[in-house]
Amino acid sequence: MRLLQRALRRSGLPFAYSQGYNPRLRLNLALPLPLGVTADREYGELYLTEQVDPTQLISSLSAQLPAGLELLGVFEVTAESPSLAALVAAARYRAKLKNAKGNGLEVVQIERAVNKLMAAEEILMPRNVKKKKQISHTNIRPYIFELQLDPDLLVAPELVMLLKAGSDGGVSPFFLLHQLAACEPDGGGETWQWSVERESLYLISNGALVPLTEGV
Amino acid sequence: MVDLKLETILNKVQKPGRYIGNEWNSCLKEHDQVKLRMVLAFPDLYEVGMSNQGIKILYDSVNKDGDLLIERVFAPAADMEEELRQEGYPLFALESGKPLNAFDIVGFSLQYELSYTNVLNMLDLAGIPLYSKLRDHNHPLIIGGGPCSFNPEPLAPFFDLFLLGEAEEALPLLLKEIIVNKQNGLAREELLVQLSRLKGVYVPSLYNPLYSAGRFSGFEKLVKQAPDAIEKNFVEDLDSAPYPTAPIVPYIQTAHDRAVVEIFRGCSRGCRFCQAGYIFKPVRRRSSEKIVETARDLIASTGYDELSLSSLSSSDYPGVDELINRLDEALAGKGVRCSLPSLRLDSYAVTLAEKLHQGRRSSLTFAPEAATERLRKVIGKRISEDEIYQALTDAVAAGWQGFKLYFMIGLPTEEDADVEAIVELCRELRQHFRRQGRHNIRFAISVANFVPKAHSPFQWEPQLSMPSVIRRQQILIEGFRKMPWVEFSWHDAETSFLEAVFARGDRRLALLLEKAWQLGCRFDAWSEYFSYSRWQQAFEALGINPEDYANRSYSFGDPLPWDHLNCGVEKEALVKEHRLAFNESDEQGCEE
Repeated sequence: MRLLQRALRRSGLPFAYSQGYNPRLRLNLALPLPLGVTADREYGELYLTEQVDPTQLISSLSAQLPAGLELLGVFEVTAESPSLAALVAAARYRAKLKNAKGNGLEVVQIERAVNKLMAAEEILMPRNVKKKKQISHTNIRPYIFELQLDPDLLVAPELVMLLKAGSDGGVSPFFLLHQLAACEPDGGGETWQWSVERESLYLISNGALVPLTEGV
Repeated sequence: MVDLKLETILNKVQKPGRYIGNEWNSCLKEHDQVKLRMVLAFPDLYEVGMSNQGIKILYDSVNKDGDLLIERVFAPAADMEEELRQEGYPLFALESGKPLNAFDIVGFSLQYELSYTNVLNMLDLAGIPLYSKLRDHNHPLIIGGGPCSFNPEPLAPFFDLFLLGEAEEALPLLLKEIIVNKQNGLAREELLVQLSRLKGVYVPSLYNPLYSAGRFSGFEKLVKQAPDAIEKNFVEDLDSAPYPTAPIVPYIQTAHDRAVVEIFRGCSRGCRFCQAGYIFKPVRRRSSEKIVETARDLIASTGYDELSLSSLSSSDYPGVDELINRLDEALAGKGVRCSLPSLRLDSYAVTLAEKLHQGRRSSLTFAPEAATERLRKVIGKRISEDEIYQALTDAVAAGWQGFKLYFMIGLPTEEDADVEAIVELCRELRQHFRRQGRHNIRFAISVANFVPKAHSPFQWEPQLSMPSVIRRQQILIEGFRKMPWVEFSWHDAETSFLEAVFARGDRRLALLLEKAWQLGCRFDAWSEYFSYSRWQQAFEALGINPEDYANRSYSFGDPLPWDHLNCGVEKEALVKEHRLAFNESDEQGCEE
């Protein structure tokens, strides 16, 4: 975020700042990436104080981005349109699972855990309630829209998760992976390791989940 | 520039961002495209070193020259050191990833005494012999600069030369001179003799320290051409001196992560304990036009949202309120906050702070240093009790509710009553505000220990003995215990003691440093690494009594190990200041 803010400032483009004692550049990410998750693209919204030609914006801003960071596209929306953060409804993650020795897990092993977890009617996620100093639980079973092995990858299996996300509640892929590991008998899942990548974000359009793509 | 082996190492350490370089505005030059290659070494962590403005100034001033190249290296943290040693991977420069041995010059920034063990550790990690006499033409020249080079004797045998004073103009000149002499095929020893004729260059191997009755008694010159005294370098005109307008912007959070414009250098106050006040004389100002121009360039090139107007006493800049107006105008709409560190404790400073903070009222920081007017007079901190009350009352009226106050204990002539007065001052201020209906005023009190420093008027004074320091700290701990609205912190007595040992040390301490480093001492300024018992072991092993250094009282006629290094203030002037201190005189001291 700091890196982005500084690049935006350097570009000299007429970005808008928040009001208040501590003015901040108005940059909102659609869904901040959980720490430890990788992604090859991110979406965000920027506010400008005057009209700027998208191609000019791309060239001015790209010149200020360090190597490894690329501006893929810019789309104009009106100030009245709902924010990306409000539109995001789900996110798709892909996890590579390994055992303590760093070898891939067996397909049957993962399937067994997935089936057991999906069979549960309730999966409770503890949540700290501020002020009241107590812990409430949310049932996140309905938040799992999809949880399955990628059918095309059987040698080095990868788990695909489509999970509810957004401003009205969601579940972290890591919480789910921990739950999954806990399904393994005799605590065998305790030594599982994983690396997680976020593939795409989804929003609801006409009652159905559609992937967020350029231009939506 | 990360190879596969390094990548494996970086995957195992905390904060790999410390070691990857490649930050915005960093400068990559090809090694074979320049005539001389230098690496600037900072003997502390990346986060600390990248907060140092001197590093940024030198990086800019050397890289500007087409014949020269300068890269950076910082002290690796303990976990990184372990990995490097295990893998046999030499310490490397951030820009090119090349080992330090691939450079012609390694230049250490010597900012504080407690980083000395890191200097040795970095040389060792680079596979460079520690002692100057054990190095030859296959090794880089090891040079040093910064405040500690005004008494570099404890480090002398490890360094080929020190460059005294401000280096942004002098360092490129020195490097150019080295190029010329190398082209002439001068051997290392001859080269050093040749360089010793340049202003500010101190080649310690040309001077042999003498001792009588166990005490330093002067130097004998080993080479006739070596100068008797070394004059410091300083920049005459800040406006024309090089200043970085496109400094490196770190990826990871550093201690001071913001744009910095130095508004003036030197200090007109002359507090008698303060080395910086003397070694950075005379006072030189950057013009407000130049400051505004620099600020604009800095914000455009870095994207920082905070601009710090730095100096040793920022509210002393003539016309500082007008300057702030002009900056506000120049940076309007860019979402930039200005900050003014090192404010003097008076009402004027409060109005400045009010102007800058525009509504934000976190806390204000001041350094009264001593709580009694008598003691403040002794140390040359000329603020009266009334001024303190007035300033804080103004600040509270403007909306501030918290103050951070810096004090020092163990000052010359100090008695228990002066220390108790720190607690009293807080109590009375609290009551003062309570009577005005303000019940929520809080204080953060930070108390340091006096360390006598070379080239300050108190250089002859002993440090208070460690048990007495601890006893006076106890007075404060007890006093503040019943004041939950005071957040009290204090400096470790052992660390301050060690700082005093080295601040006035002589060349015999080099062996001590080496021993302590061998015993595992690193990052001595960091409480989590500092181990006084290791240092005690080192003192015992070498039969050195550290109190002979820290707690010794010198007389004016005693030869001092830094007498040949001239900081620009005559010893006579320091003696005069010292006398004034003990007369508790009101007389204005050494101005400009």
